[in-house]
Amino acid sequence: MTQMPAIKPNPHYRKSALRDRMWKYRYHYLLFIPVLVVTFLFYYLPIGGIRFSFFRYTPFSPPSWVGWANFERLLFQRPAFWTAFNNTLILSLSNLALSMICSVVLSLLLNEVSTRWVKRSLQTVVYLPHFLSWVVVAAIFTIILAPGNNPATSGLINAYLLKWGIVQKPIYFLADSKWWTPVYLFISRWKETGWGTVIFLATLTSISPDLYEAAQIDGAGRWRQMLNVTLPALANTFVVVLILNLSKVMNLFESVLVLQNARVERATEVIQTYVYHTALTAQSAEYGYPTAVGLFRSLISSVLVISCNFASKKINGRGIL
Amino acid sequence: MLKEKMSFREGYRGRTIYKIFSFVFFAVLTVAMIIPIWKVLVDSFNNMTTYGITLFPEKPSVAAYKMIFTQSSLLQPFLISIYTTVAGTAVGLLLCTTGAFVLKEKELPGRRLLSFFLLFTMIFEGGIVPSFLVMKQLKMLNTYWAIILPLAMNVYNLILMRNFFENIPESLFESAELDGASPIRVFISIVLPLSAAALASIGLFYAVSFWSNYTSFALYISDASMHNFQIKLRTLILDENALAAAGSLGISSKSVQNAAIIVAILPFAFLYPFLQKYFVTGINMGAVKE
Repeated sequence: MTQMPAIKPNPHYRKSALRDRMWKYRYHYLLFIPVLVVTFLFYYLPIGGIRFSFFRYTPFSPPSWVGWANFERLLFQRPAFWTAFNNTLILSLSNLALSMICSVVLSLLLNEVSTRWVKRSLQTVVYLPHFLSWVVVAAIFTIILAPGNNPATSGLINAYLLKWGIVQKPIYFLADSKWWTPVYLFISRWKETGWGTVIFLATLTSISPDLYEAAQIDGAGRWRQMLNVTLPALANTFVVVLILNLSKVMNLFESVLVLQNARVERATEVIQTYVYHTALTAQSAEYGYPTAVGLFRSLISSVLVISCNFASKKINGRGIL
Repeated sequence: MLKEKMSFREGYRGRTIYKIFSFVFFAVLTVAMIIPIWKVLVDSFNNMTTYGITLFPEKPSVAAYKMIFTQSSLLQPFLISIYTTVAGTAVGLLLCTTGAFVLKEKELPGRRLLSFFLLFTMIFEGGIVPSFLVMKQLKMLNTYWAIILPLAMNVYNLILMRNFFENIPESLFESAELDGASPIRVFISIVLPLSAAALASIGLFYAVSFWSNYTSFALYISDASMHNFQIKLRTLILDENALAAAGSLGISSKSVQNAAIIVAILPFAFLYPFLQKYFVTGINMGAVKE
């Protein structure tokens, strides 16, 4: 009875309490192991692989240290890199701008459709392509846009253009670098505009009818109601979606990869496809240099994600992560 | 009085013009959305060598589909797609429910650290080549592990799932704990049965991403006999010679290309009503809570 632990402050109190709490959650830690292992193997180990950007490394020779040489190559000696960099920005940003405009306009128009089943059916139709893979979409449009010397051998679009005499020679929509970018942007809109309206439509339906009623009492017509009630209500969602998509600007990859072909590769290469081609499909495949290019992209992407997260917290009170 | 009537009239006319405009707009939009898919669908049933402007089948035939489901070089990629989709969705749901169940525990020591461990992967990534080299070192190239595991560990889905779990009333867990149920038991017999909607919704996210997967196969699988249907489809579209067998069977290789597209869409044509519903639910789940 000399010790009275209940009264004496125990110096190890905090520590043992932590240990007790951890012991209490032992099964939780156990359940988390698979997630930890898979994340470590497939997300953290590759981060360690970034060291190869300082090596000369090909499928046929072991890595050898070359310092900053790969970065010097990409910055100063390879115009192909800067082409890919510019293409990424141009394609991504014009895609982003178009997607914001088209989705907002479409959701405003859809919101005005008053017959319920009509609205439902229209939504069903415009959402559909979102669920098709990029390979499928690319395949559909490769067939529809195929060139041919006469209407019978062309894809649908060239067939009509030739038949109606709008063009004399078929247009190589996907094999002509002049046409490729606008066609890419169109296909992206075909695939994703409908789905882009989901979040805007959710916002539109959450606007209180009282606001419209009040505006009507004040004598506002439909046009003024849209200007003064609907658009301000959409502004917040608009900014959130914009920030979210801005953080993904550098991610462009699969959609371009499956719509590219050898004839337009130089003009349509974006950073990710450039990395893929130099590392895995090129005649003289190598790992060091494309790792450096990938690192360059990852760094820009991180800066974008972090600043977009910061901006989102400032504007919206919650981050995008 | 007269003025009021006039303005009413004008408003009415404005409304009519808008209605006509809206009707025309949506009619054109619907045609633009449907025609590409319709054209492919029609031509897949049309055993002709050239098509041009055919919007309805002229020589109706299911030969192309028969060929896809009998020729092993076309059937096998289809089966591989089904296999990786089912296995991937199962592994994905397993990882994301267990992870979410742990991270929903607010009092868990080290919770913030574990969250950050996952979130960091959304901020910074190693990139294509280092991922490829890791697969090579792990001897996972040309195995389906390389396809399933990285995609199954999806932080975004995990967070959605956690948001959902956090909405389950705490009192349910407390009463189970008082009854002496271990967390693993709580997870299996309380959390999972209550999360059917979230499981369906996130399960469909996974299924779509695995079925549509092209890039992982292009990166990690060089053995052509292990390719899935997406890779096969792209080969067929790029290279008509890949379909030399069709000609000898009297089947138009073009109709096989079209049919292959439809087969790649097929599973989702059946699932589409659910997809639409649960994808919208999923998006709103993400929007409701932090």
